[in-house]
Amino acid sequence: MEELSNIHIVSGAGFALAFIFGVVGNKTQYCTMGAISDWVNFQNRGRFAAWVFAMALAIIGVQLLELFDLVAVNESRYRVPSFAWLGYVLGGLLFGIGMTLSGGCGQRTLVRMGNGSLKSLFVFLVMGISAYMTLRGLLGVLRVDYIEPFTVDLSDKGIADQGLHQMINYWVSGSASTGLAAAAGVLIAALMLFWALRQPGFIGNSNNVLAGSTIGLCVVGGWLATGWLGLDDFDPVPIESFSFIAPSGNTLMYLMTYTGATISFGVVMVAGIVFGSFVYGLLTRSLRLEAFSQSGDMVAHFVGAALMGFGGILALGCTIGQGVSGISTLALGSFVATASILFGSAVTLRAQYHRFSDMAWITAFGKGLVDIVLMRRDD
Amino acid sequence: MSEENTVLDVSGMNCPIPIIKAKQALKDLEPGAVLEIISTDPASEGDFELLAKQTGNELLETNIDGEKFIFKLQKA
Repeated sequence: MEELSNIHIVSGAGFALAFIFGVVGNKTQYCTMGAISDWVNFQNRGRFAAWVFAMALAIIGVQLLELFDLVAVNESRYRVPSFAWLGYVLGGLLFGIGMTLSGGCGQRTLVRMGNGSLKSLFVFLVMGISAYMTLRGLLGVLRVDYIEPFTVDLSDKGIADQGLHQMINYWVSGSASTGLAAAAGVLIAALMLFWALRQPGFIGNSNNVLAGSTIGLCVVGGWLATGWLGLDDFDPVPIESFSFIAPSGNTLMYLMTYTGATISFGVVMVAGIVFGSFVYGLLTRSLRLEAFSQSGDMVAHFVGAALMGFGGILALGCTIGQGVSGISTLALGSFVATASILFGSAVTLRAQYHRFSDMAWITAFGKGLVDIVLMRRDD
Repeated sequence: MSEENTVLDVSGMNCPIPIIKAKQALKDLEPGAVLEIISTDPASEGDFELLAKQTGNELLETNIDGEKFIFKLQKA
């Protein structure tokens, strides 16, 4: 029997984790955009706390992986010294707008697709094409010519790693002390945990606790799969964890060029989530076909999906890719990208509210922006 | 479907549209009036429970009729 290659072992582990992610995603109906919507629309932070709880768990896990030298997380794309601030900000804003227009982020899209939503299949296709175009196609020219020139190389300033804990450690001790960096990381995670656990609607809601715990642990599992299980100097795999935008584009390319393509962690992750959600739907008899009923809704989903693909590549990730996997590495760019996603989504949610008063989109966005900046609630 | 209730049909729409449209509709109602919402989004069940809890409006009924979720919200 032919021996399994490194990428097949990593992919098997990735598929198992993603399957669990898909099952739980369908069971809990968890949605990061919904978490922002709950906060913006009725000041409930329960679902948002689940997201922060996932971040905190993942940070603690990654700190342990780094402390025990199990995974070289500093070699992941999040912690590189090139700080692509314009990509994080602009990409994050566009991604936030996009996921709100198309009814959910990449993770939610895949879960709903697995449960039979043709609307989500449409979003996945448009998002994947847009992402791939930004990686290697026409939109990639825009990225390379107009976004990347603004990237700042932090190593010019003596910073070799954009991990916040590493920066704190360097400023405090002036050296690369692993213990101090880990302590700084755990402190950041502890503050997040403290905040999340105090939010009404989190601990009392089993779906929120289950979703937050699963996402956080799956992200740590992803790092272990690629960085520890997949550690092989002769057959290396990229060190990464859960993320959905570039993998959606890569999955489409993989399906179209199957005979000449190689499987990757990202591709099996997409497949695992869709399959996990499908199996849950099948077992609970909740599978159902869902299609567009209005052309306006389809246009909004199309624009949203295209923005998610483009923005997600510029920002180097989505609400899970940057918002949990990236933040678990404590990379400065991940915090900037996630904050930008939150801002873009919150403004769009307020714009949608005003839009339904028959206001033009541009005016509704202006009003939404003012609402969020001034923290204004309903009229 | 009762004659005196205002009906909001958000069938085919996903989160966050049903919630935002319901908020808009509630704004125009008098206290005590009932808003009947028809949705096909499975996530809307939890969303409307939360909306009622957070806004003080009472969720009088939740009925599931095939693929439709029908909520009756009474404005506080």
